[in-house]
Amino acid sequence: MDFQRKISGLVIILLLSVLASPAQRFVAVPAGHYIIGKKGHLNNPRRKVWVDSFYIARFETTNREFAAFVAATSYVTDAERKHDALVFQPGLREFEWIEDSTAYWRYPNGISRGGIENKMDHPVTTISYHDVEEYCRWAGVRLPTLEEWEIACRAGSTTDYFFGKRDDSISRYANVWLGWDHTVADSSDGYMYTSPVGHFAPNPWGLYDMYGNVFEFCSGAVVQGEKETLVHARGGSWWCSARSCHFFNSFDIGRVHKRASFSNQGFRVAASSLPNRK
Amino acid sequence: MLTLAAFVLCMAAFSQTDDEPKKPSKASWAYESYRNKRTRPPYGLEKVLNLIKTAPSVDDEGSTVLPSKIYASLTLREKFTYNMVHGESYSQNCDGGIATVDEEKKIWALLPDPLGEEHWSGRQTDFFNQNHDTVVALMTESIERSHRVGVNYKNVIVEINATEMIPLLISTYNTDKKDHDILTLLMLLMLNNKYPPFMSSVSYTKLYANKESRWESYLSFNAANEALIIQRATDFYNGLPKKD
Repeated sequence: MDFQRKISGLVIILLLSVLASPAQRFVAVPAGHYIIGKKGHLNNPRRKVWVDSFYIARFETTNREFAAFVAATSYVTDAERKHDALVFQPGLREFEWIEDSTAYWRYPNGISRGGIENKMDHPVTTISYHDVEEYCRWAGVRLPTLEEWEIACRAGSTTDYFFGKRDDSISRYANVWLGWDHTVADSSDGYMYTSPVGHFAPNPWGLYDMYGNVFEFCSGAVVQGEKETLVHARGGSWWCSARSCHFFNSFDIGRVHKRASFSNQGFRVAASSLPNRK
Repeated sequence: MLTLAAFVLCMAAFSQTDDEPKKPSKASWAYESYRNKRTRPPYGLEKVLNLIKTAPSVDDEGSTVLPSKIYASLTLREKFTYNMVHGESYSQNCDGGIATVDEEKKIWALLPDPLGEEHWSGRQTDFFNQNHDTVVALMTESIERSHRVGVNYKNVIVEINATEMIPLLISTYNTDKKDHDILTLLMLLMLNNKYPPFMSSVSYTKLYANKESRWESYLSFNAANEALIIQRATDFYNGLPKKD
């Protein structure tokens, strides 16, 4: 098992170095009409939409990338200022998160649960939507819209999952919670919290971790007139289990406060034209 | 030929967009709004709302945490009001936020979030737990007056495991039998206390022990389910050790 992990880690490092140029780190999505949504879904009904061409990152934004942003700008995240991050530890009731005043992106679940020193290729978490806006401004990128995210995730599929109608093979593609509930730690897929980006199999367009690992912030509203403090995220996370949050799929749309920092919340970036490397 | 096949496939896919999903009825929208209503306690309400409005926010988006000194200066009743109407922390919701088809005809496994995208902080849940008897007394006073149990009250009742309120919850439900979330609340109390007859019931299996999402699980609302939940909750209450 250890050997397998080392090999898969090596593969990821090689993959990341191969995909170092912007053209390789992003997938180009051509302009056109796309089918998104789910028949009968009230937040996201099945429909045809038009989008202009865009680029979307193959991987979720990592701790390494966020560290570069902080090093360049001395940016202080919401969780660092407010000490109000919400974290998880096994044993909590379903849907329960706890505040940890020591938690922020360098210690996603609080200092007592360890830092990111050996997790620089994991997605950055415990950041707010507001923090992500600042990162994007610095990096010359933006978040995908709710529609762009879904188009990229579906990769041409119209089923609930890009790999089919049922989630039986979700473990092949996603870092999700496989335990019965959250009272006992679950590392049966190798990871209890986040996993390195690109560890699981990609979708047909070469995008990794579209389901699981971290909820990915998107721009846009579900209904007109939403509160300005309400933002959305998609794809489920490492915390999500079949029984408690079965929303690691192509159609569901989550919601959270713009200033909230959760340790299962991250993002991937997009751009209208191929971004310069930063 | 390939192009024609692709065209036909494409048209078939697009034709699915013509299907209009069943939409929630007016009754469902009304019930969605009803079940998300919070109870605003009267104790120092104006003062508390004013403090929330004028307290310095740590950001420009209204995330307000009342400074410790001001919070400590509030009376017990004012703290109760502040904590009931205002969340100092956040919740995360995987999906949801709008009405569901036939929402009024369902008994859900879980309650809606008490305060939308906000949630109670550690000091706020500590307040509810550490002042259990006072919190129960104030909620009781309010419920008896209004015959309503707001979504915030329901969530606090679960948080502090206020099983002593079961008779009041049942009598309040019976006033108009409209608030099916009270039935959900009764089941959550039995669940959290692992009441054996409930834990071995079909309702438990269907709502809390299946392989599907709890968030989306529900029982159909009908007289039989209603009567069963109330009877079971009454038996559960009658079997609890009585306080002096």
